[in-house]
Amino acid sequence: MNKKIGFTCAYTPVPLIEAAGFSPFRIFPESKAPDQAGHLLHDNLCPHVKKVLDRALEDDLPELEGMIFINSCDSMRRLADAWHEARPDDPIILLDLPSGINSLSLDFLSKEYERLAKTLFKWNNESFSTKKIKDTIARWNLLAASVKKIEKKMSRNYFPGIASKLQQIINTAATDSTDKALLMAQHKIDPEESPKGGQSPVFVFGNLLFDPKVYDLFEKWNVHVTASDFCTTSRFVTPVDITADDNIFRSLASSYMEQTPCARTMDTTKPGSIAQKIVQRAKESNAKGVIGFTLKFCDPYLARIPMIRQALQKESIPFLMLEGDCTMGSMGQQQTRIEAFTEMLGV
Amino acid sequence: MMYDHFDNAVKGITDKLNQDPHGINARKKYVLELSRLGKKLYSKDENIAWCGVTAPFDLLGSMGVTSCFVEFVGAMLSSTQTAGYFFEEAEDSGFATDSCAYHRAVMGAVLKNAMPEPDFIIGTSSPCTAGLAIVENFAHQYKKDFFLLNVPQNYTQDAIKYLSAQLEEMVRFVSDHTKRPLSKQKLGIALENFNASSQLLKEIYDLAKTNPSPVDNNILKDFGTVITLLMGTQKGIDICQAFKDELNHRIKTRREHASKEKIRLMWIQNRIQYPFPINEMLEDLGAVIVVDELNDVTWDPMDPDNPFESIAKRMISIPFSMDASERIKHLQGLAGAYRIDGAINPCHWGCRQGTGIRGLISKGMKDINVPVLNLEIDCVDSRNLAKGQIETRVEAFLEMLS
Repeated sequence: MNKKIGFTCAYTPVPLIEAAGFSPFRIFPESKAPDQAGHLLHDNLCPHVKKVLDRALEDDLPELEGMIFINSCDSMRRLADAWHEARPDDPIILLDLPSGINSLSLDFLSKEYERLAKTLFKWNNESFSTKKIKDTIARWNLLAASVKKIEKKMSRNYFPGIASKLQQIINTAATDSTDKALLMAQHKIDPEESPKGGQSPVFVFGNLLFDPKVYDLFEKWNVHVTASDFCTTSRFVTPVDITADDNIFRSLASSYMEQTPCARTMDTTKPGSIAQKIVQRAKESNAKGVIGFTLKFCDPYLARIPMIRQALQKESIPFLMLEGDCTMGSMGQQQTRIEAFTEMLGV
Repeated sequence: MMYDHFDNAVKGITDKLNQDPHGINARKKYVLELSRLGKKLYSKDENIAWCGVTAPFDLLGSMGVTSCFVEFVGAMLSSTQTAGYFFEEAEDSGFATDSCAYHRAVMGAVLKNAMPEPDFIIGTSSPCTAGLAIVENFAHQYKKDFFLLNVPQNYTQDAIKYLSAQLEEMVRFVSDHTKRPLSKQKLGIALENFNASSQLLKEIYDLAKTNPSPVDNNILKDFGTVITLLMGTQKGIDICQAFKDELNHRIKTRREHASKEKIRLMWIQNRIQYPFPINEMLEDLGAVIVVDELNDVTWDPMDPDNPFESIAKRMISIPFSMDASERIKHLQGLAGAYRIDGAINPCHWGCRQGTGIRGLISKGMKDINVPVLNLEIDCVDSRNLAKGQIETRVEAFLEMLS
């Protein structure tokens, strides 16, 4: 079994980790570790970051050969800061991620990804190899294509359990290996399955929703998830267009920056374009309503919710906004609101 | 409404200064200049840019752009006790109540049409992602062009090159909007003014280190952050000179507050913006805030022959742009230089950037034997202020220090 590299942000290119001979291990905020992170940071901070730090403080992690952090938002920056205290012996690399998308940013990020690749090969005492990177990207792209195919199927019809299975596949890619996830994608989704009716088609978006059980709950509450946009769902499995540039790292940078960005990344030529993108995805996936689910204290998303609400209102698409932490318990509290919402959608 | 507020402030302060033509009155002169800036922002005759906190105001000024960071307005609304109305507007529109109140106040003002419409927006990724999200909201709301300066966190050659190139692009963006090219001569003057102001700032801060310190708890309040709006101008130099003169005068005349100093404190991050008599309370108990975290010069002089690289280095050098260990090292340096007895960290509710490392700061200060009082307080929104509780904790802290 390969040695593991920990990471926390969806802007981390998993193919680089695997090319260097490591297994990826995305640290999900799922733990029974006691709440201690507030002592090092602050209690009014993203529950994702706090729970990941709790895991580090409680040593609720597998053996890690190193950690990759990305300064995607203030809370992630704070997590990287606190990691030095929590696990001082871990080798750490912090990548600077530009907030805007333009040619200069892509050049800069490509250099950051190159720095990451070289660091990872060095950590594993491996010789740097562009060929290995291209090979892992090719497998990653196969997975991305499979995920896309499953999402397409979800958007057309309701297949009970498919959203949860898709999440298991994506989680496998995040915490184990691309190859295993690819195998699951090929075998876990039954192509002959017949669609069912009677559920309300809803597009769900937000920052983090990784537990497959959540998607089972959604179905129980009459939701047909037609598509989703979270950093733990399809946004995580970003296909890399290796033909985009002769430089493989620039191809990586443009793929990660330009495809369905997290709220923290913006297209400055179209301020507020996140709202239009959500409207577009909801329409493309044939959803009749949209549910936003964001973590408490997540500034990048919460500050954009008013403009998203406005854009959905303009298109007469009903919108339900939910805020919580990462636990199943917080989802349970939302049951009545979600059921009322799907009832209102009237399918 | 806002234009009238600034206009009245300009008239009122000018009258007071005229009554005392030989007085130094540094703080009054400083507030007068800020009020003049506010008046210009609301005058509708200027090229206006709303910006992020670390934007290069000297460079923008040299291009004839009147610019300001949006948090300045949030603080002003809070200090004039008019923010409540704007918080409600922002919250009713869906902005989270647990977000930063600097941003909620100013966003409410945008939604209430109480802000001057900018010609364009310059966002900065430092100091915080929340601030960047708000300026994107500005651009969206006003349908104005938006330029973003990504300020890297790592101080490397690549990072400096990247930010320098962005600054050059920003100049092209501004020229396209104002139809005025950058004048190298004007930029050179702005940078010389900036350097002269920086030198005076160093001297002011050195004077504040004197024991007992000539500062009181109000004179240099939020000075380091706000003076950057003026530093590229002759007025900026004049204001800095006035502060230097005032502190020298105080040392010479040993004004009474200096001799009352029993406890020397550091204030971390920003001050409380609304009227709350903490300064007076500290003074009554013999405690003087001799240094604010953001009152420091962390950059080398600007090089007029290499302006963009100089400005880029300056922007990255601000401790809030870099990681927590650099910020803590900076705090420890200030603690030693000012020989402080303790520090107060007002953990501004809703700030993930500054307050987010509350625990790490306490630990860093403990490593050098400096106790820290963490106040859980919203520095801008007074609606949930637990006044009595804060006072008791401050009293207990000072008692412990003395």
